Amino acid sequence: METWTAGHLPGLRESEVAWQLLPFGAAGQQLQVRVPVLAPAQLVALARHVKAASAQHLKTLPVSRIVQIVDAAVRRLLDPADPVRREAERLLPIVSGYDAEMVRLGLVGFLQTFRAPQLHRFVAEDFANPKLLDEFQPAPKGGAVRAFGPELLVHSWAGNVPALPLWSLACGLLVKAGTLGKLPSAEPVFASLFARLLAQVHPPLADCLAIVWWKGGDAQSAAAVFGEADTVLAYGGNEAIAQVRAQVPVTARFLGYGHKLGFGLVGQAALDTLRAPATARLAAHDIVRYEQQGCYSPHHFYVERGGKVDPRAFAHYLAAELANAQQRFPRRALALEEAAALAGWRQAAELRSLADEGCELIGDAQAAWTVAFSETAQPLAPTGGGRSIHVSAVAALEEVVALAAPHARFLQTVGIACAPEQLYPLAEALGRVGVTRICALGAMTTPEAGWHHDGRFNLADLVRIVEIEASAERAADRLAPYAQEHLP
Amino acid sequence: MNTALVDALLAFIAQDGCSDAEFDALALRLFAHQHAGNAAFRRFCQGRGVTPRTVKSWRDIPAVPISAFKEATLSCAPADSAERVFMTSGTTRGDVKGRHYHPTIAVWDASFGGNFARRFMQGTPRLRMAILFPGEQEMPNSSLAHYLALALQEFGTPDSAYFVGLQGMDVDGLRAFLRAAEGSGEPCAVLGASYSFVHFLDALAAAGESFRLPAGSRILDTGGYKSQSRELPLEDFYAALAGGFGVARARCINMYGMTELSTQLYDDGNAVVPSVKSGPHWIRSRIVDPLTGRDVPAGERGILVHCDLANFNSVTTILTEDVGVAAGKGFLLLGRAEGAQAKGCSLAVQEFLQAAARS
Repeated sequence: METWTAGHLPGLRESEVAWQLLPFGAAGQQLQVRVPVLAPAQLVALARHVKAASAQHLKTLPVSRIVQIVDAAVRRLLDPADPVRREAERLLPIVSGYDAEMVRLGLVGFLQTFRAPQLHRFVAEDFANPKLLDEFQPAPKGGAVRAFGPELLVHSWAGNVPALPLWSLACGLLVKAGTLGKLPSAEPVFASLFARLLAQVHPPLADCLAIVWWKGGDAQSAAAVFGEADTVLAYGGNEAIAQVRAQVPVTARFLGYGHKLGFGLVGQAALDTLRAPATARLAAHDIVRYEQQGCYSPHHFYVERGGKVDPRAFAHYLAAELANAQQRFPRRALALEEAAALAGWRQAAELRSLADEGCELIGDAQAAWTVAFSETAQPLAPTGGGRSIHVSAVAALEEVVALAAPHARFLQTVGIACAPEQLYPLAEALGRVGVTRICALGAMTTPEAGWHHDGRFNLADLVRIVEIEASAERAADRLAPYAQEHLP
Repeated sequence: MNTALVDALLAFIAQDGCSDAEFDALALRLFAHQHAGNAAFRRFCQGRGVTPRTVKSWRDIPAVPISAFKEATLSCAPADSAERVFMTSGTTRGDVKGRHYHPTIAVWDASFGGNFARRFMQGTPRLRMAILFPGEQEMPNSSLAHYLALALQEFGTPDSAYFVGLQGMDVDGLRAFLRAAEGSGEPCAVLGASYSFVHFLDALAAAGESFRLPAGSRILDTGGYKSQSRELPLEDFYAALAGGFGVARARCINMYGMTELSTQLYDDGNAVVPSVKSGPHWIRSRIVDPLTGRDVPAGERGILVHCDLANFNSVTTILTEDVGVAAGKGFLLLGRAEGAQAKGCSLAVQEFLQAAARS
């Protein structure tokens, strides 16, 4: 069996640290990934090494130069012939279990978000004057301001959506933060590859970021690392985030991104005989891409009555598209616990369909997808995953706002297919109850560059603004050798 | 109630073992009875495209998920005519309780008796018993309360006693009981919910106390922890039981039972964990892929399906939420199939329910 080594440990030799093997297997291929296990003292030393190097090599680069460097690395990953890209394409399907073609298409789509023009967009979204990241700039209120990124930004990644760590990695680099990332056990490959690639593209960066691992719940390692950090970003379930937050010193900034629940709205305008099948195809795409594991992935589609194609027929179109997708991108193998959770969800839908004529379970037990249709709007709730989706009929899309409202803490993305005059009022109402991202069907799993993740600022949340107040400027002027004290 | 069927079933339970053909014959007769007499089950079978004509063996009977005991009335006899109704403790989904209707409790009791005598009493006619669970009057809808009441009534000595009430455990009373048993040299039995044992062991550990029960004493625990106590790995649990009570692990027996069944399964002690669980001749188990319902390849983990012929009025065949793997003459129980943690960053059902329960 192949063994692949994860992590990026500047200043440490492989023989100086312990290693643990994480087993992976999918589609008949086996792989074990070797992740580094550092002693708390080694973690502290590594964090300090990164801080020192980034003060010297990263904080001194203009932001436009950082954009060029990240862009160069991303371009290599976009090149199908590049050896790093090929390695990512080979390893990620085994590690994540996702279909290889789905991973390839997903990766290409995602990476485009991090080319130079898009990276500039990230900066421009958060800073009206991007030069703020390089030097003091005049402030409209008087005086001058400058933005400083963290000395050490710690990322605690989670989950197996391939390449997802790139989002926060790129944001950290754009604000010139020294980076220490904790690999997710479910996908330890991409962040490791990207760190090594950056080091190739611009060798001084090799020392400005470290990629490590420790077992979830290892409080000693966490305390060692968080003690060195001035900002900690954590992804994961609320319980895991609470655990991390409890370990971060109060003097450090903590940014947590929890699990979310996405859904879709399909209005009458998308439900004529021409548009309905295409709409169903886009909805199926959002379900299939990353197997509903993304925070933006849909679990429920609410479909408006009154179109030429009624909601039940739309559910059948969706089922047909999911059946098609299974041919092209077979579903990943489910672990027993996942299969049991999905079976439990299916059973509940089956029992509802037996008790209520208005409910229908589409897709038999052997199918790698399930559509549970209901003539009455069902409450918003996660499905069993594994391409299982709820479709509810509603008289009007506005009804859905009240169904979403109780789950404000878990809302994020809503995919919408509706007429233009519905879009803004719906967005207003959804935004009010907690939704932070409204996008087209088919785009739910590809947020655009500069997206305000969970309604937050990607870069602005990371920096510390330093101000020279107008009084300091005036006082300095008065102390100049050329000051003319008799003038105002 | 179909008395001929009940009589046939009682005779079947009373006989000494059975052949595959005999098991199938009774299973099919019960399936036909339930298919005809239970509308909810009939619809369930229709959904699966299964009729009494297509079912050739007990393995073909569609397994009803235990959640259906919450959603539907799974009873051939009118539900309000049941002699006893056992309800699930409702630990997994708020206040919705699964209901199991027993038109006569005679079958349940018959299924209990001989099986308990063989697997727990092992030839001893009666033992002094300490019960760590509330009595039947306090929990009339608990199948475990009924089980322990029967155990005490049929196999306990007159000086047996309960040490758990609705208010909690009488720790000092139990201590005194065990001290007396130690002094008497007469073997005794301690039976109860696993979590009650954890509470008592914690109290013993805090006091630095332990017992050495006389030879022949034994322990029966059941039911897991149900969030009522801290989770203890099996190895630690049985090591602590053996240490706290002075009873060899081979005499610490775990009973595997469910409200949705009428028959209990046992292991032959827990010297090695997880231990092999098996039942009497009127219950058979399969290990399946929960999505397809097909048997998993030998040696692989799957979800347990039980075909309990003593479930004459509800459904014989149920799909549990328990993970098992085939072993010896039975299976190893590997815990519940829960905690399907989100692998990505999409909200998992479990976390959603936990959040909903808190708010």
